[in-house]
Amino acid sequence: MKILATIWKESILLVRDLGGMSLIFLMPLALVIVMALIQDNSFEIMQESRLEVLFVDEDADALGQRIAQALQASPNIHLIKNLKGRPLTAKTAERLVRAGDYKAALIIPEKASITLRKKVEETAGGLFAHYGFGSVTSSVKASPPIDLQILFDPAIKPNYRQALTGAVEKMTTSVQATWLMDDIQRRLGEATGRGGKTIDFSEMIHVRQNDASSDDAGGMALNAVQHNVPAWSMFAMFFILFPLAGNFIKEREEGSMLRLRLISGSQSPVIAGKFLFYLGVCLLQLVLMIGVGLYVMPLFGLSKLALGANHVGIVLTGLAVAMAATGYGLLIAVYFITPQQALSFGAISVVILAAIGGVWVPVFAMPPIMQKLSPFSPLNWGLSAFNHLFLRSASTAAILPDLAKLLFFSCATLAASLLIHRSRIVL
Amino acid sequence: MIQSPIITAFGLKKTYRGASKPAVDDLSFDVRQKEIFGLLGPNGAGKSTTLMMLCGLIKMDAGSMEVLGLDVRQNGAEVRRRIGVAPQEIALFPTMTAYENLVYFSRMYGLPGTAIRETVLEYLGVFGLADKSSQRVATFSGGMKRRLNLVAALLHRPQLLILDEPTSGVDVQSRRMILDYMRRLQAEGVTILYSSHLLDEAEKVCSRFVILDEGRRIAAGALAEILAANGGSDNLEQMFLHLTGRGVRD
Repeated sequence: MKILATIWKESILLVRDLGGMSLIFLMPLALVIVMALIQDNSFEIMQESRLEVLFVDEDADALGQRIAQALQASPNIHLIKNLKGRPLTAKTAERLVRAGDYKAALIIPEKASITLRKKVEETAGGLFAHYGFGSVTSSVKASPPIDLQILFDPAIKPNYRQALTGAVEKMTTSVQATWLMDDIQRRLGEATGRGGKTIDFSEMIHVRQNDASSDDAGGMALNAVQHNVPAWSMFAMFFILFPLAGNFIKEREEGSMLRLRLISGSQSPVIAGKFLFYLGVCLLQLVLMIGVGLYVMPLFGLSKLALGANHVGIVLTGLAVAMAATGYGLLIAVYFITPQQALSFGAISVVILAAIGGVWVPVFAMPPIMQKLSPFSPLNWGLSAFNHLFLRSASTAAILPDLAKLLFFSCATLAASLLIHRSRIVL
Repeated sequence: MIQSPIITAFGLKKTYRGASKPAVDDLSFDVRQKEIFGLLGPNGAGKSTTLMMLCGLIKMDAGSMEVLGLDVRQNGAEVRRRIGVAPQEIALFPTMTAYENLVYFSRMYGLPGTAIRETVLEYLGVFGLADKSSQRVATFSGGMKRRLNLVAALLHRPQLLILDEPTSGVDVQSRRMILDYMRRLQAEGVTILYSSHLLDEAEKVCSRFVILDEGRRIAAGALAEILAANGGSDNLEQMFLHLTGRGVRD
């Protein structure tokens, strides 16, 4: 009854505090959208999104086509063959890469296919001659290698350079092997009178790629929406201390807290009522922020928030973060005497905890010293749990350590708040 | 007929941490049933500290106090359950209406849900606030706030009412209404401990007094006894100035 009465009273006070309402609901929504828009490009770069490669096909034959086909199939490479409706030349490509307009260019030289066919014939013929099935018609060594050229912008990241070189080498090796096998089969057919047999090299070794997620929902890369929605939701939830501490200290200064202390048995219900009310507000904030991620962010050209498959885990994490945020807000409220002290300390401390916790910049992008500090922030525990759930569809068991830390933090701050509140002299 | 004491304070002493001298020092008094007892003194005399010790919200360093037959040190919660306190501050929520404030405090007092509306409307009517019940307290005049502050202490119908400066900053009509209601409560059997620095007002409503200055008792008893014992002054104010001098106290 007393707890419900306090929740009812707190709801009236908050609804009539338009500044507080906008601070905890409107501003975080604006903040999360702005931050996601600002960081969208940075995350794309960080996540090594598609590399644009200028493709100059001076060969205009089978080898060039096969390489182009293979690179186009790669999700991380975007081949550009024409610019302004005209086919690229080696000279133009070189100029554009040198100017830094593009990071890389691949040049397939003229007559590369013809040369490769000739080299294949020479190699197969030499092989057959070696085993007494014919004579060597020409010298393999006399023919120079085909000179495929990849031009790189010196500023390109090493992993881009490695990935493109690897892809081209893999493709050329495959073409060489296939063509060589075809030629050997043709020669064997001619010698034995039997037809050819198709050989699929991919059946010999199969490289399987699996995401190490806990179920079939798979995983996804971190992007601006996936990072910013949970990160700034938690930031907003911890900022609950503004209305919480503001109202609490105002009640103490104005005397209504004294009256409540003079009412027997009201202290625990007052604290519990405040805690539960602001817990509910925090959860409402989270729901709104997730709603923005799902329905509003796509309107701004951002990707839609992916929640993963463990919705129970999301509810538990939301609850644990809300409890930690409310407990922290209560501690600030009861500890400090004036609103100025409480709100200044509260705001700065939340900003620091958010920065350490990976809200502003993801932890993996922080310097090593900050990465060591990160596990001490409750916002990091929450963010870690949300990332497990959203990106990897983790099971509830996987996020239990983070939830346990958040719950411990909440219980500790709540207990400290009660002790300090009871020991305060009210005069 | 002499009534039995409802409050017995003996040798109370309280020194706040860091203070050079006690806020209350060796204070003894008793309050009898159904009387209006004046706890008087200038600002900083130790009145509020005494009231908070009485409510069990501040621990006394020395002495003892019984309220309604209960030792305050051991039964502070039970004491608070039986008394009503109207603090000197307007201890209300300014952005809530008068009705909402009283409903909230009624619930915190643990009043049954069915009785709350009836009780709240009754008191709003008695104190001339019925037509203002849906207005926010922030829009009230000083007198209206003070009356509502008193109502909030009466909702659970306490046996002992403690009023700290109940007429501070109010107009003549509000003061008259509050003082008249104090007499009405006394007639109904409620004991009132009235704390104030307004000595002339205290003379009109209180049957007995204890007067404090700088934490110490300087006079106690009925008006006639006090005046007779202190050089035959005409009134409390004259007597007080005679005992303490004309220097300011805070």
